[in-house]
Parts: sequence; C-alpha cells; structure tokens
Amino acid sequence: MKFSVNWLREFVDLPKNPEGIAELLTRAGIETKNIETRGANIDKVVVSQITASSQHPNADRLTVCEVDDRSGTKCQIVCGATNYKVGDKVPLALPGAKLPNGTEIRKSKLRGIESEGMLCSPIELRLGEDASGLLILSPDAKIGAPIGDLFPADTILDVEITPNRGDLLSHFGLAREIAALTGKKLREPTPLRTADTTVAGVKISATRECPFFSARKIGDVKVGPSPQWLRAKVESVGIRSINNIVDISNFVMLELGQPTHAFDADKLKGDINVGLARDGEKFLAIDGRTYSLKEDTCVVADQGRAVGIGGVMGGEETAVTDSTKNILLEAAYFLPASIRRTARDLNVSSDASYRFERGVDPDMILRASHRAAELIREIAGGTPAKEIQVAGELPANPADVSLSYEKCDRVIGVTIEPRTVDEILTRFGLKKTRSTRLRSSTARQARKTGTWKIPSYRRDLQRDVDLIEEVLRAYGIDRIPGRTRGGFMPASPADRSHDLETLWLRERLAASGLSEVRTSKLISRTTSAFSEGAIELRNPLSEDHVALRPSLISGLLEVLERNARAGAESVSIFEIGRAFIPPSGEEERHLAILLWGNAASTPNWRSQIKRSLDLFDLKGALECVIPNPSFRPGKFPDLALAVEVWSGDQRIGFGGQLSASKSSAPGSVFVAELHADLLLESESAKKFQELERYPAITRDIAMIAPEKLTHAEILRVIEEPKGPLLESVQLFDVFEHREGTTSGPAGKSVAYRLTYRAKNRTLTNEEVTAAHAKIRERLRRELGVTLRE
Amino acid sequence: MAHPLKQLRDEALHEIGSATDEQALEAARIKYIGKSGSISAWGERMKTLDKAERPVVGKLLNEVRNAVTAALETRSAQFRVEKESGALAKIDISLPGTPHEIGSLHPLYQMHERAIQIFRRMGFALAEGPDVETEWYCFDALNTPPDHPARNEQDTFYLPDGRLLRTHTSTVQIRAMESAPPPIRVIASGAAYRRDEMDATHSAQFHQIEGLYVDENVSIANLKGELEFFLRELFGSETEVQFRPHYFPFTEPSLEVYVRSKALKGGEQWIEVAGCGMVHPAVFEAVNKSRGDNAYDPEKWSGYAFGLGMDRLAMILFDIPDIRLFAQNDLRFLRQFA
Repeated sequence: MKFSVNWLREFVDLPKNPEGIAELLTRAGIETKNIETRGANIDKVVVSQITASSQHPNADRLTVCEVDDRSGTKCQIVCGATNYKVGDKVPLALPGAKLPNGTEIRKSKLRGIESEGMLCSPIELRLGEDASGLLILSPDAKIGAPIGDLFPADTILDVEITPNRGDLLSHFGLAREIAALTGKKLREPTPLRTADTTVAGVKISATRECPFFSARKIGDVKVGPSPQWLRAKVESVGIRSINNIVDISNFVMLELGQPTHAFDADKLKGDINVGLARDGEKFLAIDGRTYSLKEDTCVVADQGRAVGIGGVMGGEETAVTDSTKNILLEAAYFLPASIRRTARDLNVSSDASYRFERGVDPDMILRASHRAAELIREIAGGTPAKEIQVAGELPANPADVSLSYEKCDRVIGVTIEPRTVDEILTRFGLKKTRSTRLRSSTARQARKTGTWKIPSYRRDLQRDVDLIEEVLRAYGIDRIPGRTRGGFMPASPADRSHDLETLWLRERLAASGLSEVRTSKLISRTTSAFSEGAIELRNPLSEDHVALRPSLISGLLEVLERNARAGAESVSIFEIGRAFIPPSGEEERHLAILLWGNAASTPNWRSQIKRSLDLFDLKGALECVIPNPSFRPGKFPDLALAVEVWSGDQRIGFGGQLSASKSSAPGSVFVAELHADLLLESESAKKFQELERYPAITRDIAMIAPEKLTHAEILRVIEEPKGPLLESVQLFDVFEHREGTTSGPAGKSVAYRLTYRAKNRTLTNEEVTAAHAKIRERLRRELGVTLRE
Repeated sequence: MAHPLKQLRDEALHEIGSATDEQALEAARIKYIGKSGSISAWGERMKTLDKAERPVVGKLLNEVRNAVTAALETRSAQFRVEKESGALAKIDISLPGTPHEIGSLHPLYQMHERAIQIFRRMGFALAEGPDVETEWYCFDALNTPPDHPARNEQDTFYLPDGRLLRTHTSTVQIRAMESAPPPIRVIASGAAYRRDEMDATHSAQFHQIEGLYVDENVSIANLKGELEFFLRELFGSETEVQFRPHYFPFTEPSLEVYVRSKALKGGEQWIEVAGCGMVHPAVFEAVNKSRGDNAYDPEKWSGYAFGLGMDRLAMILFDIPDIRLFAQNDLRFLRQFA
C-alpha cells in the first residue's frame, strides 16, 4: 500500500528524511519497497486565471493569452496548448522561475509577440506524465497562490504489509505502529466519535458472513468535484478522484482503514437486507463487469435485488451519480474468510475486499461512518440522519493473552527486564490486567506472568509467542547476540542415500565426461511414450508445464534440441531426479543418460579417429555406475533399438537408440533411464581382496567367426566350463570383413586376450599351453570358427 | 719403471676417455678386458709368477680391472645421457596435454552440496519428503487454515485428486517430527513449486533447503547465531547478516534474513536469502495430534526453522543473472562450472 508521509505526519512525528522512515519500518518488519518524492515546490510558479485568449497573428498553432495572477497587472503569455478555455485556472511560471527540467523562464518574444512567462503542463512541473496540454487546476484554487500550496512537497512510501497486519492498511494505523515503535505520541486527526445508533431499517440474514452492518441516511447532498485538498490526498496514494462523495469514502478508508460505501438512496427499494445471493444471480458492479453470483456470495440487497457484493463492490444501478440527492452510507464488518472466497470465486478484488480479507477493526466501524458523514456534511452539504441504523453484533474483543517473562527470555535467548517487556507491550496498545506469580515445582524461581488485554485492532495477537514477537520487534533483533549450539545427529536414510547418489552416480558420471543437467519436473502434453500417462495438473500455468514427468527423458531431449540448435557437436548429459509414476504419482529417483554426436567434443592431436557416440558408449557409461550390469534385448515404444538394463538379477531400467522420428537433432540419439533407488539400495562397503602374488601369463586367440555369431556366445564357450587357471578374458579387436575385400572366408575377425594365473605358484608354459589348447579346441568344435595362428 | 699393468691401465683409461661413441667404447672394452683382452691376459700370466710376487700382482690386477670397468661405465652413462637429451630436446613441450573429457555437475547441485557440507559440520542430518503432498502437510499442519490467503489455487499447483505440489519444503518439518521425537536437528533439500510466471528472478519450480532444530531452550539467539555462521561460511567471513521481522503462518516470531558483502555483486545492497523463525506452537500441536502423543509439548520444547532459496543463493554465489539459465541447461553454461 502507498502512504503519504505528509499524511502520516498528521498523526505522529517522523524522522526528517524519508530514508530514516523506511529504515525504521523495514527493521520492524514492514518492508518499504519504494520511496517516491512528489510535489511542486517551485519558486515563481503561481496559480493564474486565463481571462482572454486570441489567435497569434503570425503563427497558426499559437494563441496569445491574457492571464491574471493578482499581481495588479495582467500578463500576456504566448501559449501552444489547446486544452483550456477562458476562465480556467492554470499554473503560470513567471520570469526567473526555474522548472524541474532545468528550463529557466525569461521574458521573450515569440514570433514577434511578447510573452511574459509560461503556462505549464503537468510534466513541466513534474506533477504527472501528461505533456499534451496545460495543467487545469481546481476552480477553487486561489489566484496568485504559489503552486506549492496546491501541490505540497510529499514523499510516497510503497510499503508491503504482511497479511497478518490488516491494522496497518491505513495512515492512522501505520502511524499508530510507528508511535509504538518509536515511543512518540499518537494524535487523532479530529476526535474520533460516533453517532447514536438505532436498530432499524437494516437486517442481516447472513449473520456468519456479515456479523455487523450499519447504514446512515444523508440527505440533500450536492455531488460534485472534490475540493483540491481532498482530491490531492486521494490521488497522492494512487486513487482516482471521482466525485466528492466517492472521494470522501476512499479518504476515510485510507485514513482509518474502514471501507464504506455510499448508495444512491433514491434508487434503493425498501429496507436493506444482507444475505446470500441466489445461485447464478447476475450483478452489474461499478467496475462495469457483470458477475454471476454464487449461492454463498454475501450480498447487500434491497427488497428487489442485490445492490452490492458485500465487502467487495457496490452495484452500478445504485451508484452515486451527479444527480444523486440522498445517500445511504454503509459501514460493516464482513468475515475475512467469506470475502476471500467470494473474491476468489468471482475473480474480483477491490481496496475494500483487500482490507476486509485481512480483518478490519470493529471499534473503528461506526467512528469511520461518522467521520465520513461529517465530511459529507462539510464538503457536499449533506444532512446526516441523527442516528446510524445498525444490525447484528460487533465481533467480540480478542481474548486476553498471558505471557510468562521467563518464557519470553527463553524464546528470545536473552534476559529482558519485565519492566521493559511491560513498557513495550503497553506502547503497542496492550493493557496489563493481571500479574501473577506461579510457583512451579520444576522452576527454581517463581514464574512471573502478566495477563494482557489485546486492542480490538490486533486480532493477530492470540498466543504468548505473538506477544514475544512484538517484544522482539521493539527491543531490536540486532541487540540479540547470536549463539551457536552444537548437536549430533546419527546419519539418516536420507544422508546415506545422498552420499551414495553423489559418490556412485554423480561423481562417476561427471568423471567419465557427462554433464549434469536439471530439467523441469513439469512437462508439456506430448504424445511421446516417455510421457505416457503423466498425471496432469488441475490448474497448470502454461502449456509447457502441464503434467508431472513420469520419465526424465523428455527433459533430456529438450536439452539436446536446445544445444544442437546452439551448435553443439556433442551432447553427453545425465540427470538424477524425481519421476512421478502414474497412476498414483509415486515418486521414484531416476537416473537418465543421453548421448549424441561426436565421441570427442573437439578434435585433438592425439586421436585422429573421428566417430559418433553409439550404443557402446551408452553401455560403457551405464557400466560405470551399475553393479553387476547386464543387458538383454528389450522392446520400448519410442526406441528403434532397445535393451533392458539389469543389475544382478534385478531389472533396473532400459536404454537404447531413439527412433529417428522422436528427435529433430541429426544423427542417432542414445538414451537410458534407470530407477536409481534400486541401484543404490544394495551398496555397502567394499571388502579387500588379496593381491595376486604370482605372475600371470597371457595368450591371445584370433579367429574368423561367422557374422551372426555373437560375442556373448564366444565368451560362453571360452568360459564354460571354466578352467581353474583362466583368470580373465578381454575382447580387444573386432573387424567386420566385407565380401570381396579380403581373401579369407566371409565373417568377422575377433581377437581375445586370455589371462591365466594360479593363486599359489608360478605357472609353467606347458600348463598354460594345455589349458589354452582346450579352449581353442572348444571354439573350433562348438562354434566352427577359423582360428588364426 | 712402472709395472706393465699400470702402463696398460693408463693406456686403457686414455682410450676410454677419448672414445667418441658407443662403438669405440665397446672396442676398447674388448681390447683390454674382453675375454682375450690385454689386461685379462694377465690372469693367465699370474700362474707363471713367483709365489711371492703373485699376491702383489693379483691385487694390482684387480685394481686395474676395476678402474677400467668403472671408467667404461662412466663413459657409457655419459653417452646415454647425451643421446637422451638430444632426443628430448626435439620435443615441443608447448603441445597441449592429451585431453581428458571430464563432465560437469549442475551449479544448483554444487550449491546444494556446499550448503549441505556446512550444515553437516554443524551437526544436521538430512531428511526427505515427497514433492507431491497433501494439503495437511503443506498447509493444515503448518498453521495455514483453509481460508488463509497463502492457500489458494492462484498460487498452488493442484492434482486432480486434490493433492498438490508442495509450495515449500517446510512440509518436511512435519514429516520429520512425525517420525521422530525431539531433539531433532535436520535439513531437507528439494524442489518446491508456485504458480508464478517465469522471469529473471522467478520460477514456477525452485529449490530450497529447509532446516529444523527442536530441543530444550532453543532460542532466537540460537537461530541467529547458527544462520549467521552458515551464511558466513558460505559467503565469506566478512559477510554482514541482518534479520528483519516478517510474517509466516508456521513460525512466531518470524524473520527474514538478508546478507550484504563487498565480495558479492551488489556490494552495498542487502539481499534477501532466507525466511525463518521459531516453530509456531500450533505446528507442534498439529504434529502431536497426528502422532497421537504429546512428544512435542510446546511448553517443554522449542525450535527454530528456516528455508533458504537455493536458486537465489546460487545466483549470488556464482554471479548468475537469470534464474532461467538453471533450467535451460545450455552446455556452454554448464561447462563454466565444471
């Protein structure tokens, strides 16, 4: 909300500079978002009246005005504006005036005609953005008065009020808070009184939504423009001036925090009833929109129809107009929850609903009504009825709150004298009603407790901790010395899971050249198999973020597209994050990998081989992080080539080559996705294995194998039955023959290195040769390969 | 006149010294101490000498042979060194090293990890909770009743079944307290979601670290001291920390935390980094209700809670101007943090 510093000063003394005020508020938890200076305190600019105007003899677009500034002689001014008429009051800059934009005014000749000053537009006086014409002043502006009298210098603070502090949504309310924080005296603008009340003329049937309602008849009003001071005040904090009645209503709200509403009494039929709307009832509000009301919408109604959405907005048909003679002035209390629901359901909000939602001060309702009535009497010449018509009950005062001084010290962490606590709470308007001394068996000292009466405007103070916060705010957080406390916590499952994720997955994948990405958990509505069945949000914000991802791959594909577009030659990425498995949305931690493009991101002088990343790079990356990995042929809708990924005897995910239609990046894309929780749950500390003490002997086998013979089959024949001396088998060469290119039989050359070792002695060549010969024989016999010497 | 062996020794040493390559050296070796070398021949000749002369000449022969062998080795080592340095002199040491393609970890993860390391030194354990939550964990248990302004469809993503995406990681406070009695000292990191339009500083998905400490006599002073410690560990010891009163439904008193440091971009500006406060007694009461006991008696236990915006902290620490960069995953961006 915007606050005028001049207005605040009417109620409380403030620091001289606006920054000081902002700092004071901010440190008390009332954040000042912006400070703006206003006003036109400019020397030699005065109110003048245009008394005559004629065409400039030498220029089509200029006029020559005669203006009166009460200096005794009338001045002649050449003017380019067209938005005025003779009789208007406008600002006149006299010779010697210096405008905010730096222009200095002098007597001059314009196209041969003498001009003794300048008539000013709003922008020239920095009073607005309008540069299209003269600033037309209010008819009651005093001719010859300095312009600063009409537009006094002011500072506007844009302040963020937290939702628990509805009591700060008025100048009086904020001033009251500042007075409490600084210990300065609070002044009431005029004594805040109320008039007599009578229970008649208004009725409440929705007592839950509207516990209290009042209306005051004011006759014989003259609706018209507001006087300059009133208009300036409401406009200074960003509210448009409408007419004197509406402006007074807004003024009282800005001053005291209580919204009021004026109906054209002659357009109301019969008595007012506050009740609930009919479901679907149409209502034309003063904002020009027609609302379709709900059966739980609280409305102010006359005998025929709704004339206002209670606490939110009045109706167009009963609004005050220039021809209004008699008004009915509403001031009420609406249930915050009900106003919030209505504002949300109808998608409407207003300055009034903003305040009712946060709770208005019940004690202020009738005083605000009376203040508005008195102002209407003064400004619009109305005659308020002697009595205010009321219905319902004002909400009860907040319950008393007890505070133990010892608890206050305990929560804040320093000892604050009870005297200081009392003084602070008293400044905030609380009254101590009782002081007790509880002797408890556990505490060594008696616990001194004060019981406090809470002012009607502080409904947020409900428990002792709320009072402690007030003490803390006024005492000053900076005065509390920070103190650390040790603590030991055993590692939780989340700790272990975090560490495994870091050590086993993240760091290994990054070390093997992959970059970690983080993609959105909310994905768009696509037809990809990777997002099939995704749970959609009831109220998404944008088409790109509609559903909870069941897989990380659609996110990785977006990262691929973005980087390929940006010119990347290689994309090797992984993500670890939550996936939401339909239909329940069960959350699983997934690891997904995507590989695309060149095997090395840049060419380098040590390796001339240029190749694309392929399925075996994907397998290699997966083998880095999966204990006992194995891969089996699989099927997956959007993969052209799919494998199931296993760890031991558990299937933990899938991988493969993406169907060409699923990505716009040129070339093959390889993806895999694993359920990482399964991957990590089995991990435990590794156990030491005795180092080998005797040397190994290696022998190579090279063979030409039929093309269809797989590595797995060859390996099986080598390893089964496994001889006691064979330690390991390493495939080190695969070469596909194309027919006609070699003299040998069609097929592929493959070569293995076999390592033999005994645990307890050095092997002899003869032993190895015998073992090796058996394997060679098996290969020849069982697979029909051609062994090369 | 010197013994002929000494004469042979001097000749051999001279020849070794003047040898210009390995071949000349090898020739000298064969000539003097090879199988039929002139010095080796003295071994045979010994047998013909007097018994009295034999030990004297034998000793001399040994000395001469050792001296020549040593000279041969020294000279040979010289040749090897010359050869090696000749070959190595041709190497262009300015050629780049064999490239190792190492990957990178996401800056948000790095931020999390830095924060977690500090909190662990401060004795916090990790806790976890789901992203998809019920209204109970996200609002009711956190003293945010159904008609509270913070609780509406404008700001919260809902699932068709009435569950929602958590709007803060404070949900983990409730889960942690439900599962263990006090004292408790945990942090939880994770994603949170709000229906915010995306711009340079706002994202509908963001990351938080939540902290909760419940024990006897935990005070504002502890909250202040420990968050100050954390922030100075993270941003440097010269970092200034300011606490300002604020409002959150689930803490009372509630505070916002600001930092300022010349070492950070923004210099003189206070930057908001966290919300925190003392756990509201109504939160303890809600936890007790779901636990079915009075483990978190608000008269016996007190606690503080805080929520740190990880995206914001990472933007400050790494000087990143736009929150959207985190989600775009441009490799040129990611590799900067490798």
